[in-house]
Amino acid sequence: MNQGKKSLEPEVIDLPSVLERIGGDETFLQELLKIYLEEFQTKVSELEKAVVHEHFSAIQELGHSIKGSSANLSLLELQRVAYSIETAGREANLAQAKEYLNKLKEAFDRLRTYLVDCDWWKASR
Amino acid sequence: MLLKGQSINSKEKSTEMANSPINVLIAEDDRISGRILERHIKGWGYKPYLAQDGEHAWEIFQNNPIEVAILDWMMPRVNGLELCRRIRQPKYLDHGNYVYIILLTARDEREDLLRGLNSGADDYIIKPFDPLELRARLNTGRRIIELQRLLNKQATYDALTGLLNRRRLLGRAQEEYSRHQRENKPLSLILFDIDDFKKINDTYGHLAGDAILVEVAKRLRRGLRQYDHVGRYGGDEILALLPNCNFQALQKIAERLATLIAEKPILYESQAFSVSISAGGLSTESYPSLSLQELIALSDKALYQAKRAGRNRVIILEAVHPLGGEA
Repeated sequence: MNQGKKSLEPEVIDLPSVLERIGGDETFLQELLKIYLEEFQTKVSELEKAVVHEHFSAIQELGHSIKGSSANLSLLELQRVAYSIETAGREANLAQAKEYLNKLKEAFDRLRTYLVDCDWWKASR
Repeated sequence: MLLKGQSINSKEKSTEMANSPINVLIAEDDRISGRILERHIKGWGYKPYLAQDGEHAWEIFQNNPIEVAILDWMMPRVNGLELCRRIRQPKYLDHGNYVYIILLTARDEREDLLRGLNSGADDYIIKPFDPLELRARLNTGRRIIELQRLLNKQATYDALTGLLNRRRLLGRAQEEYSRHQRENKPLSLILFDIDDFKKINDTYGHLAGDAILVEVAKRLRRGLRQYDHVGRYGGDEILALLPNCNFQALQKIAERLATLIAEKPILYESQAFSVSISAGGLSTESYPSLSLQELIALSDKALYQAKRAGRNRVIILEAVHPLGGEA
């Protein structure tokens, strides 16, 4: 593992904290991450629609929901960005919603890249 | 007769197995959080029921003996607060089972907590939750549920014989009577009484009498079917309720029960007592139009006849009723 990845790790996923939360079982973590990845796609496409239609309450709800599942898996960056989306929805701030939607996708890509390089994740594939 | 003034508890959702796992409803629309909760809760020895939205949770609540509910506040349509309010409706409390409610909430919804507690929640936990904290909070709920189970058990069973006590017996009788009417299936009743019980008590003491009563109760319980109810109706009077049992089956069962008592002496302090019982009973098949009170009164008459006819016998009444004879 290169050093760059390692230093990125706590920002993408705080492994010690999530493992503590779920009782230390990596197989279970993989199961949960799969649910997360699957649900994320749906939520993001709903979020894109909500942004196009300037449907702020939906933006707020989806932001809240992504924030919640990210927090459960200690996906710190995704959690923080999702919180900003929730806030943008609450404050009906379209510019901010668009900006953070892009940041959300970037953060998600970082998670995926991180997982691809992860030995324990590869083992489960 | 004996039923007068007796309040009948028509619905008991009680969990009678005092040591069975506590039933925990989890209402959480976030799938990941729901799975984590379910897994922890199972690992701690509870029995989880996972619902993915409030409507589903409500359905589970109505069909299962839920004792603890962990409710996410923010759910689409029926949220945790609304579930709280529904669970706290007086009609659910009347069943004698208090549900311990823990609200799940995100940190930034904290100002709502007062509202949650005022809606009937007992406790709350902030998401993402710390498992040790949740476990500790669940333990608080467990203490209350276990105490409630104990009280329920004491309020359900007769302390000496372990049979249903009179109040619960009559409650079951009312339930089974209603069910027999609704489903049009025969219900049978048998009233038992130990022969010369007073003489046993007077001659050998009340401890001997108690021991004999306990053994008679045990044998009767063993001789009945799983879904029959048997309870202590009076001093040494025991009433059995046999759902879905017609006249013919009743006669066989009653005879078998009398034999179970008489065939082997009861040992108490290395002394063998030959004990017999008398019984009176009937089936609604023979008396389709009688009320529950009338059925019990008639069983009592049959028992009295059995006593007068010389004890150690069973009298099952047959339709001498103008409408009787067919169910």
